[in-house]
Amino acid sequence: MAGVESKLRYRDARNGDVDTLAELVVRLKRLNEEFDSMLTVRDDIKVVSRSYISSAVKDKNCIVIVAEYKGKVVGLLKADLRERRFSQPMREGRIIEFYIMPEYRKHGSGTEMLHHAIEKMKHMGVQMISAEFPSQNKISVQFYAKQGFRPITNIHSKLL
Amino acid sequence: MPKKNEKTEELYKLAVRYSKFYGGKISVTPSVPVRSLDDFSIWYTPGVAAVSRAIEKKHELSFELTSRWNTIAIVSDGTRVLGLGNVGPEAAMPVMEGKAMIFKYLGGVNAVPLTVNVHDQQGIFNTVSALEPAFGGFNLEDIESPKCFYLLDNLRKSLKVPVWHDDQQGTAGATLAGLLSSMRMTGRKPSQTKVVFLGTGAANVATARILSVAGFDIGNIVMVDSKGVLNPDRDDMDELMLHNPWKYDLAIKTNGERIKGSLKDALKGADAMVAASGPGPNRFPKEFIKGMNKDAIVFLLANPVPEIWPWEAKAMGAKIVATGRSDFPNQVNNSIIFPALFRGALDSRASTITDEMIVAASSEIAKYAYEKGSTEEHIIPTMKEWEVYPNVAAAVARKAVEQKIAKHSMSAKKFHDNAERIIEGSRMTLSALIKSRLIKMPPQ
Repeated sequence: MAGVESKLRYRDARNGDVDTLAELVVRLKRLNEEFDSMLTVRDDIKVVSRSYISSAVKDKNCIVIVAEYKGKVVGLLKADLRERRFSQPMREGRIIEFYIMPEYRKHGSGTEMLHHAIEKMKHMGVQMISAEFPSQNKISVQFYAKQGFRPITNIHSKLL
Repeated sequence: MPKKNEKTEELYKLAVRYSKFYGGKISVTPSVPVRSLDDFSIWYTPGVAAVSRAIEKKHELSFELTSRWNTIAIVSDGTRVLGLGNVGPEAAMPVMEGKAMIFKYLGGVNAVPLTVNVHDQQGIFNTVSALEPAFGGFNLEDIESPKCFYLLDNLRKSLKVPVWHDDQQGTAGATLAGLLSSMRMTGRKPSQTKVVFLGTGAANVATARILSVAGFDIGNIVMVDSKGVLNPDRDDMDELMLHNPWKYDLAIKTNGERIKGSLKDALKGADAMVAASGPGPNRFPKEFIKGMNKDAIVFLLANPVPEIWPWEAKAMGAKIVATGRSDFPNQVNNSIIFPALFRGALDSRASTITDEMIVAASSEIAKYAYEKGSTEEHIIPTMKEWEVYPNVAAAVARKAVEQKIAKHSMSAKKFHDNAERIIEGSRMTLSALIKSRLIKMPPQ
């Protein structure tokens, strides 16, 4: 049976990955949608995801990392590099997109990928790391708590 | 099939009429003699206080000094009753009464129907947990999926008495029995048999899990639902992860070849098909069967009408065809499993019903069929072959002993004879009541 025989490999995203990465972004946004109706995806999600990830791959102010299994892209982590205006430390890396295909989850792949990204950002001078995800996503809450993250800002929303 | 419908209509009418005549199907009868009212001071106060005190000191004694050893509850919230759907707890009662009657008649088990007005999974969990002191086991019935998966998994872990969900395990056990028997007839081994499931409801999800315990290669199992072949690249995987982790788990573990597409693609080169999807006929094009391997085994378990008619499956090359109906050959019926399985679990005082105990029951049924001379039209015993029940009870009880989850240990022969005595006693009691006209014949 198919399964994870060797660990995933992690590398920087390339232009050639854009189509697959756009699909992963769509999957992530649809997953987020499950947690809250205010995260309902827009009808043109595929188009916007593609243009979003295609510019992110070239953008110096963010990093995009892919997870590969036997040459196939199965995961994505995108983080923005930000300057904090009022607080210190000032250089923050904020994880905005983080998705691994279902089959390749567990086996520590999420932790591995996160650490890969953190190492990379450290080298780039990042001093603190944050992650954005839906409040109701208990799986993410637990994952980041285990990695030593704690909530520092709440964003509360309501429809008008 | 107008004839069949007429027959069903007639049965509907009779069932309502008789239910009214008898005022339901079960009652509670004392199991002790009352020679005079003086006996009450033994069975009730003051005598009973000593029994109470004994149990207070040692709770285990409730299995010896009260009827708990042979009494289970049938719990339903009425959300998925037969093919009727969510009819509610009151309307579920006649079905649960019927189940209790079968438990008693075929397994000698006292089963108390409890239809509850609680519908959230935590609420049902709490209700069943609260009832534990009164019962030797629980049969969950007609509770919708995926709530039923949660309840079975969590109650099994938390209670110290067996918990069973017949729609999952009973169907899985009966299906496995039929498969094992058919495979023996067609010269197949579990480890090399490719099985396709159509439908991913409670029954098929449970059957796929049981098959992997019974020596089938889970990678050789392919599941198909209304969206096509289940595989880990499907768009709905994250939704399943959050709302139906049992199906999600199967999506990752099954389908080693990573087949994508439709039922037709899945059936190519398959040895067996288990359909439990939705009422037929013409649920899928019968020609799909042609793509299966030689001597294909096809189970069409939808009720009241199988996914396609059995003769159509045969015409397309299926060697063995089974359905859920009693008026066609090879009825895959839970009633062949649950009465005996509970008999064995109760007699061995098993703390739970393991998947291995279910496999033991199925294997015993397949063995019985083989020894009696199974044919393509008779792959599993019917309820009339009631001597199979003590055999199954003994196989289940011995498995519990082997797995060290039984409080009572006896030889297979003793378990068998004990089960036979109890089941026979139950049938004899009923026939004595009928003979003495305490239970009247139905009105004409």
